[in-house]
Amino acid sequence: MNYLENFGRYCLLMFRAFRQPGRNRFFREQLVREIDSLGVGSVGIIAIISLFMGAVIAIQMAANIESPLIPMYTVGYATRESVILEFSSTVIALILAGKVGSNIASEIGTMRVSEQIDALEIMGVNSAGYLILPKITAALLINPILTLMSMFLGVWGGFFACTLTGLLDSPTYIQGITLDFRPYHLVYSLIKSLVFAFIITSVASFRGYYVRGGSREVGQTSTRAVVNSSISILLWNLILTRLLLL
Amino acid sequence: MIEIKHLSKSFGENQVLHQIDAEFEEGKTNLIIGQSGSGKTVLMKCVVGLFEPSEGDVLYSGRSFTQASLNEKRNIRKEIGMVFQGGALFDSMTVEENVAFPLRMFTQESRSEIMDRANLCLKRVNLPNAHKLFPSEISGGMKKRVAIARAIALNPKYLFFDEPNSGLDPRTSILIDNLIQEITQEYQTVTVINTHDMNSVMEIGDKIFYIHKGHKHWQGDRVGIWESPNKELTDFVFATRLMRDIRSKNFKP
Repeated sequence: MNYLENFGRYCLLMFRAFRQPGRNRFFREQLVREIDSLGVGSVGIIAIISLFMGAVIAIQMAANIESPLIPMYTVGYATRESVILEFSSTVIALILAGKVGSNIASEIGTMRVSEQIDALEIMGVNSAGYLILPKITAALLINPILTLMSMFLGVWGGFFACTLTGLLDSPTYIQGITLDFRPYHLVYSLIKSLVFAFIITSVASFRGYYVRGGSREVGQTSTRAVVNSSISILLWNLILTRLLLL
Repeated sequence: MIEIKHLSKSFGENQVLHQIDAEFEEGKTNLIIGQSGSGKTVLMKCVVGLFEPSEGDVLYSGRSFTQASLNEKRNIRKEIGMVFQGGALFDSMTVEENVAFPLRMFTQESRSEIMDRANLCLKRVNLPNAHKLFPSEISGGMKKRVAIARAIALNPKYLFFDEPNSGLDPRTSILIDNLIQEITQEYQTVTVINTHDMNSVMEIGDKIFYIHKGHKHWQGDRVGIWESPNKELTDFVFATRLMRDIRSKNFKP
């Protein structure tokens, strides 16, 4: 019953967030700030994780190819497919759920417990639209770009790992990553990144918006937001994979 | 004028307010007093629309707030200024940006006009040199004054204060009380103050409503309190020995 009630409140909050976006100049300002905070602020960590993730995938592939019948360029091919299909969209979303989700939940939660949201409402401002919509829009704009960047760096992480350790020469790896490339896989991954961006920002905003209590509850809400959005990401990953790939 | 008609509020099984009727007048400081937990904050939140009343109506100059459409509510809210107990200042904005916020949100004025108006409001509350500071860098009394400056920025018709003196020393409390009274008379606002500060009651209480266990127990002015036979009210107002001594010596305000 509680789940249903929470889902209903979540839907109503999203309806309110999208209904009255507020003044354009405020929205633009907030959007730029959120793109900087949610997107640009995450570039560093995503770059590091993607490079190492691609490197590890490539090394593990190379280590597990024992049969001489399997060509070595399979390492490049498998690294590319793993990175594009799963790691760049899902793993990066899970990392962002931790970094960005907790940030959003604690920011909005603090505003709730210190009555800043009430102050907005009293002024006649649609607090949901003012606080949540720019965050969702920023994430929808920036998350696909971060995912593309992660794909690029992941594949090149694999390249560096293979060539620098002598597991594979560069022409063989490049032959692998250019083999049988299906642009649809890229589309599939970008669709997932959009859905995950919405989940991360909306779930964290919902948790923060309805927090009650003080600083301890804000902290707990922040953790709950990360757990909820991570589980939702995994669930939707399964649903989207079933719908889009099979 | 704000009229409250038969207003009740329940949270589940717990009824917090019972059939409250009241009228808050223009150009007067209307005080809602009562012990902690008596329901006065819930009453104020129902009046400003932060809580939906379970029963009854709130009329702003004859316009029903509870039955108003979303747009009508937004329009009424633009005429409301509220100062919260903790100030509720936007902590990621400077003092100046806080005061300018409602102006930027609801007016078409240029940036320089908005800043002029914000500076004027800050000057009105005697805070001419705090523009660039963040709320975390100023004192409690200054926060209250910034919150008042923000509340009056749009020339509101209705001003609400939730415990304006809580956490302030007696001297700063008097300054805030005087400021509220001056602004009420200057702008002819309907000012509603939620308080349990007896100094405020005696200093600025033009019209006083005493709430006890969710019921309106008494209504009158600060002179009337002195002569009221209402036991709950007198127990509340004259709770300290000092107040009892003052009463016994008949020092009326």
